[in-house]
Amino acid sequence: MTTLLEVSGVSVTFDGFRAINNLSIAIGEPELRAVIGPNGAGKTTFMDIVTGKTRPDEGRVIWGERSIDLLKLSESDIAKIGIGRKFQKPTVFEEQSVRDNLAMALKNKRGPLSVLTWSATEHDKTRILELAAEIGLSEHLTRRAGDLSHGQKQWLEIGMLLAQDPRLLLVDEPAAGMTPAEREHTTDLLKRAARTRAVMVIEHDMEFIRRLECRVTVLHEGSVLAEGSLDHVTRNSQVIDVYLGR
Amino acid sequence: MEMSRTTAAPVKRRRLFQNNPSVLWFMGQLGLFTLGVTILSEGFGIGVISTNLVKILGMTLCLCLIAIAMDVVWGYCGILSLGHFAFFGLGGYAIGMWLMYARTEIVIRESLAGGTIPPTEREVSEAVASQIFSVVGSNELPLIWTFAGSLPFQLAMVVLVPGLLALIFGWLAFRSRVTGVYLSILTQAMTLALSLYLFQNDTGLRGNNGLSGLQNIPGFLHVPQSVISVWFFWASAFALGAGYLLFAWVVSGKFGSVIRAIRDNEARVRFLGYNVEGYKLFVFTLTAVISGIAGALYYPQAGIINPSEIAPIASIYLAVWVAIGGRGRLYGAVIGAASVSLLSSWLTGGGAPNIDLGFYRIIWTDWWLVMLGLGFVLITLFFPKGIGGLFDYLVRKQ
Repeated sequence: MTTLLEVSGVSVTFDGFRAINNLSIAIGEPELRAVIGPNGAGKTTFMDIVTGKTRPDEGRVIWGERSIDLLKLSESDIAKIGIGRKFQKPTVFEEQSVRDNLAMALKNKRGPLSVLTWSATEHDKTRILELAAEIGLSEHLTRRAGDLSHGQKQWLEIGMLLAQDPRLLLVDEPAAGMTPAEREHTTDLLKRAARTRAVMVIEHDMEFIRRLECRVTVLHEGSVLAEGSLDHVTRNSQVIDVYLGR
Repeated sequence: MEMSRTTAAPVKRRRLFQNNPSVLWFMGQLGLFTLGVTILSEGFGIGVISTNLVKILGMTLCLCLIAIAMDVVWGYCGILSLGHFAFFGLGGYAIGMWLMYARTEIVIRESLAGGTIPPTEREVSEAVASQIFSVVGSNELPLIWTFAGSLPFQLAMVVLVPGLLALIFGWLAFRSRVTGVYLSILTQAMTLALSLYLFQNDTGLRGNNGLSGLQNIPGFLHVPQSVISVWFFWASAFALGAGYLLFAWVVSGKFGSVIRAIRDNEARVRFLGYNVEGYKLFVFTLTAVISGIAGALYYPQAGIINPSEIAPIASIYLAVWVAIGGRGRLYGAVIGAASVSLLSSWLTGGGAPNIDLGFYRIIWTDWWLVMLGLGFVLITLFFPKGIGGLFDYLVRKQ
C-alpha cells in the first residue's frame, strides 16, 4: 500500500471560525478509511479542500506518485486526475434518465468537441450495464433519476462515482436515509470498491462503520483527534468525551 | 476504422429523428409553409400574399432562428442571456455595410460614366464615401469600411464579429464564475453599451441613421422586390431549418445531457470532471454566431438597421418569446417567437380593428404591450412550461 493522498498542515478559516486547524491526514491505495466526528468537526470542509471547492489558508495537499499539488488545480481537473466525490445530499441530475446520468460520468474525454461527437461504444454500453447491475438499478435505466427512491438515488450517485473510475472515492454519508437492507448493500459496494482503490467514507452511524471493518480517523474541531481501528478509537478517552459520550 | 466511421453516421442520424420525432415534424411543417407562401406570393405565385407580408413572414423566420439559439443558451444551458440581440444586430450591420457600399458604388459609377474621362478608383471611392457619410457630416470612408465592397469579407464578418465578441465577453464573464441574475445584468449592459456606442455619429456606422436601403440587392437592382422578397424568404426558411437540425443534434446527445446538467447543478458537473466554463463559452459563442446569421438575413428584408434595434428591450423580448413558447424544447421557441412577433405586428401595425366598448375605446397600439406583459406574468405563474407544455399535456392524455 502506497500513499495516494497526503494532506499536511492544512488550515482554513471562515469569517473568523477555524473550520480546519492544522489538519494532517493521509490515505493509501488501496485502502478503506472511515472518517467520523461530531457536527462542525470539519469533515465536509476537508472534502471541499481535497476536491478544490475550498482553498485553504495554509498547508499542502499532495497527490500520487508524481506529487502533484492539488491546490493548484481546478475542480474539474481534480476530478479528471482521479478523485470522485459523493455528496451528503444525493445529487443526481433528476431531469435525466439513469442511463444518461451514468453515461455522463463514464470515463471518457471531457472536452466539448469530443462530447459533441460522442456515441456509446460497445465498451461504454457494457460498462453502463455492469454498473447498473452493481448498484441494483438494471431495471431502472430508462427511468428519470428524479423518480427514484432516496436510497436508489444514493446508489446512482455511487454508480456515477464508480463510472468515473477514480483512484480515490470521497463518500459523504452514503447510508443517510437508507433502510437496513440498503445499508448492507451499500457496505458491500464500498468494500468491493476499496479492493482496488482508496475509499474515504464520512459517516455518523457507528453500526455502519463497524461493518466496514476498516481504519477510522476521528476529527474534532478541524484536526485529527485519534486514528486506528474502531475498537482502538472508541476506547480513547478524549474521543469518548467529545463524541461518543454525548 | 474508416469503415466503421462511415457506417456510424447514418445510424446516428436515424437516432436523432427517433429520439426527437418533433424534428421531422418541424421540418415537414417548415417545408409546407415555405411551399404555401411561395405559391401564394406575388413574385412566384398567384399573388394572394402581398410582398410586404412575404417580408414580414421571412423576418419572422429569422426571429424564430434567434429564438431557438436563445432556447439552447437559456432553456438548455441555463444562461439567461439578455444580450443576444446585440449579436443579431452585428450580423445585420456586417451585411448591411456591403449592401450599402456596393449599391452606392453602382449608382456612382453609372452617374460618372456620362463624363468624358472615365473616373479613377479613388474618385469612385471618395464619391461613395461622401454619398454614404454626408448624413453624419463626413466624407471620408471609415477604416472599418475598407473591405465593405467585398461580399466574401463582409459575410465572414457576419460570423466573426458576433462570434469574437461572444468569445471575449463570455470568457471574461464565465471564468469569473458570474452566474444567474448577475450574468443577465452583464449581458444587458453589453447590449446597452453597444447600442449607445453605435448611436454616436463618429463610429463609422452612421450613428442613429443606421444603414438603410438594404432591401436593394447590388447586382439585382432591376429585379422587383416581389421576387427578391421570396428569395430571402427561402433563404430564411433554409437557415431556420439548418439551424434547427444543428441545435437538435447539439442538444440530443451527451453534449445536451451535459449542458442540461450544468443548468441544473453546475457545481456537481465540475466534480464529474467537466470544464463547465468551457461548455458555457462554447454554447454562448455558437448561439451568438447563429444569431448573427439570423440578423444578416433579417435586415435585408427589413430594409433598415439602426442602433435602436439592439436596445436592451429587444433581447428581453427574445427571452419573453422563449418563455411563452416553452423553454427547453426547440419548437417551443419557434412557436413563441412566431406567435408573439406576428401578433405584435398585427396589433401595432394597425391591422387589428380597435374595439369600441361604448365607455372606452381599446386601441391596440396602446394596449398590446400591457397584454404582452400580463400574458408573460400569467404564463410564468400558471404555465411555467409555456405553450409547448400543452403538447406534453395532450400527448399524455392520448
